[in-house]
Amino acid sequence: MALVAQQIVNGIVVGSTYALFALGFTLIFGVLHVLNLAHGAVFMWGAFTGLFAVTALGLPLAAAFAIAMLAAGLLSVLVDAVAFRPLRRRGSPEFAAIISSLGVAQILMSAAQIASDTQVQRFPFGTFPIVFYQVFGLRVSLQQIVIVGSVAVLVAALLAFLFATSFGRQIRAVAISERTASLLGVNPGAVHALTFFLCGALAGAAGVIIGIAFNSVHFLMGEPYLLRGFVVIVLGGLGSVAGAVIGGLLFGMIQTLSVAFLSSALSDAILFGLLFVILLLRPSGFFGTLRREIRVVRQ
Amino acid sequence: MIDLLLAQQPLAELILVNAILAYSQYIALRAGVFSLATAGLASIGAYTAAVLTVRWGVPMPLGLAAAALAGAATGGLLALPLARLRGVFQAIATLAFVQIVLSLALYAEPLTGGAMGMNGLPRTVQGWHLLGVFALVLYLVFALSRGGVGRAFDTIRQEETVAVSLGIRVVQYHRLAFALSGAVAGLGGGVMAHRNYSLVPEDFGFPLLVSVLTFVVLGGRAAVLGPLAGAAVLTALPELARPLADYRLAVNGLLMVLFIVYLPHGVVDTVLLQARRLRLAARQRAGEARA
Repeated sequence: MALVAQQIVNGIVVGSTYALFALGFTLIFGVLHVLNLAHGAVFMWGAFTGLFAVTALGLPLAAAFAIAMLAAGLLSVLVDAVAFRPLRRRGSPEFAAIISSLGVAQILMSAAQIASDTQVQRFPFGTFPIVFYQVFGLRVSLQQIVIVGSVAVLVAALLAFLFATSFGRQIRAVAISERTASLLGVNPGAVHALTFFLCGALAGAAGVIIGIAFNSVHFLMGEPYLLRGFVVIVLGGLGSVAGAVIGGLLFGMIQTLSVAFLSSALSDAILFGLLFVILLLRPSGFFGTLRREIRVVRQ
Repeated sequence: MIDLLLAQQPLAELILVNAILAYSQYIALRAGVFSLATAGLASIGAYTAAVLTVRWGVPMPLGLAAAALAGAATGGLLALPLARLRGVFQAIATLAFVQIVLSLALYAEPLTGGAMGMNGLPRTVQGWHLLGVFALVLYLVFALSRGGVGRAFDTIRQEETVAVSLGIRVVQYHRLAFALSGAVAGLGGGVMAHRNYSLVPEDFGFPLLVSVLTFVVLGGRAAVLGPLAGAAVLTALPELARPLADYRLAVNGLLMVLFIVYLPHGVVDTVLLQARRLRLAARQRAGEARA
């Protein structure tokens, strides 16, 4: 029983990082209705920027975190300008967006491979203090508490931004109908750039957190997160902010439980199999969506 | 001259293998199916052929046939949940399918050799066999595109609503596209298994998926010769321009972005379109001159 509880705690920690990653992914889909396959590469560059700020510039972790978020946000805006903006102007179908973002992801990964010389980079020892606590018989590290705490703060900030500010209202308006929003005086270009910045910043934050938690930063780290991010956002419903958070937490728990009790080799097959089950049973996801009228199934 | 050509034979064979895989992707895209499953289906074909011929001593042609069948069956099964889904969701689900195949190949160690893969496979497929398999695939695709199935595929790809209003059963044609794409991918995987000496699950992961997709985007998604052109150019490029080989990933990515933004129909389709436009213009001028 204690083992199950311990795995659930671990699952929540892992799941909160998935949630952070998937939030940006799902928000871009909700607002622009495209899949951004370069999101994993932005995440990876966030981790590299954080690492660079700590090792080369000698900055404290909090400052490195902020710089990584800023840099990943700007990179994400650049991805939008290169991969999506030309297609938007032409009104291209979703297929073109998948291809062009995949292409940008390849370029970003190749750049990181060259910059890091294909080596796995690590944060210097002692970047984060290693402290453990016993809570109700469970072993919890300071790192886990900080991870869950910072994810909670970021999610709360995003929700506050989306639902309590004028910018947030504009983003939601464009998500529902770009044409109507622009008739009402919203500048869709600015909203797209802002959305990409927010999503990139969240991915950058997730990159630094995961780089520290697993103490490894390398050019391929975005790929598994991108693929798992798909399962998370389908679980929560494409375009749903709350769904991404709940889906991420659920995904983390299922992953840790299946690794602990079934088989670590099979855990990927189980998780991606889950995606098929969801698509069969309830393809629009399990939670309310930012934009409800996405057609999933043929009529 | 002959020596020079013979020296290029491995490259030519690689082009043929890649083109077979590109045709699997092409069949799906031609029917408007956003399937990225080719890598996973090829993996199933490759392991089917390798296990049958190495462990059970089945002759090579039967192994290839079994690989194609296994690919078709898997593609058909995959279509049951996916033919009713739409664009992006098909893409996501087939990406997940590739990951499932990868992790199952790693897990089923007694059968597939797990992460170490299968090594010391006999090389039984020669250049002529390869050419034969390729000709078969090309014939299949040609026959497909000349017949009613090709027209139905084109209609569905261009406008699904119109296809439905014309009485085309979209879900059934998508199932057919999944199964055919699976058969061709299985065949391609089988050929790889008999050519490569060794087989590792990671051979059929995300990188293969991306490069197969690039072949088709670069070459063209409608004309039959598009995938062959794309596979030929992209396979030969790093071999002929050595300095580029180190930046292969970046070059591939750059080409993907440039093509989808500036030449979205690919090389062959664009050339054919321009030629047709010129012919029409010439005919129009001739008509005006007469009048």
